[in-house]
Amino acid sequence: MLANTFVYGFVNSIILVLVALGFNLTFGISGVANFAYGALYILGALLSWVFFNTIGLPYLLSVLCAVVLTAVAGELMYRFVLLRIRGMVLSEVIATFGIGLATLELFKYLGFIGFEYSLPVFVDTSIEIGQVVVDMQRVFIVIIGIAMAGFLWFFTHHTRTGLRFRGIAQEERTALSLGINSDRVAMLSVSFGAAYAAIAAIVILPLGTINVEQGYSVLIKALAVCIVGGLGSTGGLVLASFLIGYGQTITVTYLESHWVMLVPLIAILGILIFRPSGLFGEQKELEERI
Amino acid sequence: MLEVKNLMVFFENALALNDFSMTVNEGEIVGVIGSNSAGKTTLMNTISGLIIDMKIKEKRKGGERITIYGEILFQGEDITETQPFDRVKKGLVLSRERHPVFPESDVAENLRIAGHQVKKLALSERMEYVYALFPALSDLKRRKAGFLSGGEQQMLAIGMALILKPALLLLDEPLLGLSPMMQTMLVDAVKNLRKESGITILITEQFARPILPFIERGYVIENGMLALSGTGEELMDNPEVKSAYFGI
Ligand SMILES: Nc1ncnc2c1ncn2[C@@H]1O[C@H](COP(=O)(O)OP(=O)(O)OP(=O)(O)O)[C@@H](O)[C@H]1O
Ligand SMILES: [Mg+2]
Repeated sequence: MLANTFVYGFVNSIILVLVALGFNLTFGISGVANFAYGALYILGALLSWVFFNTIGLPYLLSVLCAVVLTAVAGELMYRFVLLRIRGMVLSEVIATFGIGLATLELFKYLGFIGFEYSLPVFVDTSIEIGQVVVDMQRVFIVIIGIAMAGFLWFFTHHTRTGLRFRGIAQEERTALSLGINSDRVAMLSVSFGAAYAAIAAIVILPLGTINVEQGYSVLIKALAVCIVGGLGSTGGLVLASFLIGYGQTITVTYLESHWVMLVPLIAILGILIFRPSGLFGEQKELEERI
Repeated sequence: MLEVKNLMVFFENALALNDFSMTVNEGEIVGVIGSNSAGKTTLMNTISGLIIDMKIKEKRKGGERITIYGEILFQGEDITETQPFDRVKKGLVLSRERHPVFPESDVAENLRIAGHQVKKLALSERMEYVYALFPALSDLKRRKAGFLSGGEQQMLAIGMALILKPALLLLDEPLLGLSPMMQTMLVDAVKNLRKESGITILITEQFARPILPFIERGYVIENGMLALSGTGEELMDNPEVKSAYFGI
């Protein structure tokens, strides 16, 4: 039982990391709170379903097309909507939430509901860790989740575009005066975040079906993790994912499963009361010093 | 190299620069001296193009508060409407007032962000150059920039501009808030920089004393207007400059 909780809690935590990475990336770089994030997540999954089942492309190619197209959707959203309102947080939230809502409801209207809308698992076997049996998909989730977090770190610290990301995230005007095009970088960050959402969906959703409603719960999970971790902080994101992830798994195992939804909400409330800047309030530390 | 012609900048109805003209020739160090809110930062932001970005962003949000008249020529080319990042490519780089560096990144990473478009080999060479110019920085490579002292941040801010190897370096009040000792260090560094690389520099200051000895020419700006101009020596001997800008 304990070993079970440990392993499945771990997987659940990595799922939260995967879900939150893209949202956190966009917010951390350009300050845009992308409330259409859940819709992009579902869009990524549905696109790869369509490419695979309707058009009949090989699975890997379907996934690639879906990720690229979701990134393009993020880019278009930036160009035509966010560009004008960047920096006005309330307008950003309202606009992106509106876009997300419209997209998800459109999917429902188009009839993407039902068991046939599910993505294939990568390999259909399971392995035993300790005495716990885990299916291969969950193993992939852990591997890909860690790889995506690692890649993000590498990308932002060691590539040119990544360094531009870090510059814009910290001091936009200084970055501009050093020749960094802030609008371009902000657009890239939205589109990168969208690609991350699509990848997360394609890795996680084979565990169940593509349910459009998940667009909403994914947004809530991403928000919870980012708020608890301290918006924009990657270290905080990981820590918060593990807190909430294990919190959820322990709730399911030892309490009642329908309380699971409450865990992220309680975590948000708790953090807002005791440490409003989140677990990793690094920025605050510096601000107070100055 | 740089020619500013009849520049007028309005913030709403307030005139921040009024018919201001100046030139900077290749290889010179030119100073702009003015007291608080004389328009020095506005001038630097207009030359570097930051004001264009401010203007565009305000326009998108539906307001149009900033109006610019006049002309800026850089190496013979009209850049009045050019975006700041394109001006950097042409060799025009600003080190901003109050040294706003990237606080969460360490010193080395600040320099690497500044060098985002510089080839790897050239970048490490230029970083070494900056550390040689400001030896104090080379002991602080791994320190977060937000935890540096004001003087150290100022050196870093100048170093970041230098990474881009500007043809014309704009320094907006680099001595602001520094102790006399730090000021001397920075001035020495700027002199060295000039001697070694023959760079062209435009520098603003509130006080004339620390910069007059090493600038070739200077402009005195008052309420956005040109009040006086002349060589460093001429300004040094001018009684008005003496009484108004040799304070403390
Ligand atoms: N973004 C802005 N919006 C409105 N007014 C502004 C703006 N920036 C500057 N001004 C006004 O323009 C005038 C010139 O300001 P500027 O910052 O250029 O002065 P300065 O010479 O750099 O002063 P200091 O020595 O204090 O830095 C001031 O009256 C200021 O209030
Ligand atoms: Mg100023």
